[in-house]
Amino acid sequence: MRKTTRKFLAVTAGVASIALLASACSSDSNSSDDPSSSASSSESAASTEKITLKVATFNEFGYKDLYKEYMSLHPNITIVDDKAAKSDDARAAVQTAIGADTVKDDIIAADSDWMPELLETPDYFLDLASDTVKDRWPAWKSALSTTADGKLIGYGTDAGPEAICYRKDLFEKAGLASDRESVAKAIGTSWDDYFALGEKFMSKKTGAAWFDSIGALSQGMVNQLDAPFENPETDEITALDADSQIKPVYDLLTSDKVLAQSAHLQQWTPDWNAAFAKDAFATQLCPPWMTQIITGNAPDQKNWDVADVMPGGASNWGGSFLLVPAKGKNADAAKALADWLTDPVQTAKIFVQYGNFPSQTAATTDPSVTGKTDAYFGGAPTGQIFSNRFAPIEKQPYRGSHYFAINQALGDAYTRVDVTKSDSAADSWKKFETAVKDLG
Amino acid sequence: MTSTQTPQFAGPTSGEDGDRQQRRVGFSQKLGRWDVKLSPYLYISPFFILFLVVGLFPLLYTAFVSIHDWDLIKGQGDSVGLKNYDWVLHSETFWKSVRNTFSIFLLSSVPQIIIALVLAAILDANLRAKTFWRMGVLVPYVVAPVAVSLIFGQLFADQSGTINQILTNLGLPTIGWHADVLPSHIAIASMVNFRWTGYNTLILLAAMQAIPRDLYEAAIIDGATRVRQFFSITIPMLRPTMIFVIITSTIGGLQIFDEPRLFDQDGRGGADGQYLTVTNYIYQLGWTNRNFGRASAVAWILFLIILVIALINLMITRRIASDQSAGEKKRKKVRA
Repeated sequence: MRKTTRKFLAVTAGVASIALLASACSSDSNSSDDPSSSASSSESAASTEKITLKVATFNEFGYKDLYKEYMSLHPNITIVDDKAAKSDDARAAVQTAIGADTVKDDIIAADSDWMPELLETPDYFLDLASDTVKDRWPAWKSALSTTADGKLIGYGTDAGPEAICYRKDLFEKAGLASDRESVAKAIGTSWDDYFALGEKFMSKKTGAAWFDSIGALSQGMVNQLDAPFENPETDEITALDADSQIKPVYDLLTSDKVLAQSAHLQQWTPDWNAAFAKDAFATQLCPPWMTQIITGNAPDQKNWDVADVMPGGASNWGGSFLLVPAKGKNADAAKALADWLTDPVQTAKIFVQYGNFPSQTAATTDPSVTGKTDAYFGGAPTGQIFSNRFAPIEKQPYRGSHYFAINQALGDAYTRVDVTKSDSAADSWKKFETAVKDLG
Repeated sequence: MTSTQTPQFAGPTSGEDGDRQQRRVGFSQKLGRWDVKLSPYLYISPFFILFLVVGLFPLLYTAFVSIHDWDLIKGQGDSVGLKNYDWVLHSETFWKSVRNTFSIFLLSSVPQIIIALVLAAILDANLRAKTFWRMGVLVPYVVAPVAVSLIFGQLFADQSGTINQILTNLGLPTIGWHADVLPSHIAIASMVNFRWTGYNTLILLAAMQAIPRDLYEAAIIDGATRVRQFFSITIPMLRPTMIFVIITSTIGGLQIFDEPRLFDQDGRGGADGQYLTVTNYIYQLGWTNRNFGRASAVAWILFLIILVIALINLMITRRIASDQSAGEKKRKKVRA
């Protein structure tokens, strides 16, 4: 008898404490929600029904705190993060959803590399144009998510204005000036200057290469072309034609002179990752997101720095978009969220916290952005440098429906010459030709 | 196997029931007869309905897709007859992927079954803490393929990898695990073996434990050594299980996807298709090149290849089975 009463008491006590906790929590959240909900009710008076919005992202968009902020501003909205492990998985998921004409996520994040494919099915996506976003981005950025007849299907998130990251200690070892201004001046504005300095660097035999991978340089050079692979008017493949824009780039990068300056690494491999911590190469093409990768790969290497320069002219590498499927149940609420997430105020916060550089013109000149320095890169004013690199960007290359596949085949062609060294430049180009012809 | 056996079971029972039926008439009896006649099929029907939906339908639909121009996003295009098959059979990359698939399959399945057999024989012996050792071999199977690929990625990295570091320290030339064809196959096969050897070991071990112990006792009395016992008793008695293990690992081996896809960061089978397998090629055609027509054609060719190999397996199975009964007769004669 005594035992049972004790048990009973314990159970009631437990239940009571849980009930107390639960009620405490709920009352707490109620009281904290009240002021904000009354504030937000003025801007979205119509929407009080409970809505769940699923946002499909990949890598790191830096939205965690912003989701919380948005949910407290709009108590009726719950945001679910649907993050893919690899960006390739996210791309396959989007394409499968479009192919089956189903809506799995209310907002879909897409890399600029996939935008050409998504622009082929504009009907799947909601027209996102509105007065508030009219001049939010520079023309080259919004052009990437605008169809031929002027429908805006994606809000730009981040951008990748390219600079050059370099190793101070290796520059000093080669007898070159190593402060940011001198390095920027020495690298110069053309690729010829860059490779000339590379030759000088290599002649000092420091044991390090001048750059990491010709595949990476090619990406930077492709971003400076008008139409690397396809005809902007007809979308026909021009990469193999006599007046191909990519062939001269390929020939330059696979020339003996340039190959001699390469560290013969393939981007994103474990070897490439490990090389950042060693004395493997002195320079590296460096969009803002690359600074995060360098920091992550070589946390103890204190000699990386950023120079405010880009050979061949200012250009952009990477950056993403948020898209809203038109058939989503809460497409309007999703559009409002996507609008809010890509607002300059929010993207400036993301840059300060995560380092994803904003693509919104207003955000790139925001004092919180331009004032950011990076202790890892010797206290370099990265905010100001990338802002300087961003302003002069005028164009993005034309990317047609074959861009993704051709770019991968080109990457393979470089790897065969630069990394595995299994083919001569000419043989590897022949294999590239076969791969491109197979697309037709 | 079960599907062909079940109706046989139902046959004699229902016949017996039919004789009784003629004597007593009534609806409930009729129901009872239907019950006996139909329920076995009803009980196995979930599997076949499921098979129809997720097996047969996709198979036929893939055949339908393969004779069309079919874009991943835009969907069905014109009907093109056998053009996709023609293209695939004339594609150098396709034959490369067939070569890679068979090479990786042989490099993984053969050592895997031999090692599993030896491990099972050791585990079958009187060990202390049996369960511990037996569960131990299964641990790699539990590890997720992605985690396995991370571990092996560190081992087989071309410059910074553990194996090449050791080779360098020993003054030996490094191996291009991602650059050369055979080393890349060996590396991938070792990932497969790491994962599946333990699984096969346990199946073989279970079969070994079912071998009557008196056979071994008789052999010991006859003065047979452990090795002789293994080759003359264990292996012949394991034949049916061996066939099962070989068939399942053949199917798995020809459809190998995860390991080569996770072997590098791109997952496209190497810059020169050094380790591009047929299933990876299907993925590449379908999702990178967005050509579902060609991808489906490759899928069907792979299906036919597996069918041919399964038939060869079946023939060998029959021969071994008859060999076994012949062997048993011989043994009986010897004993008598």
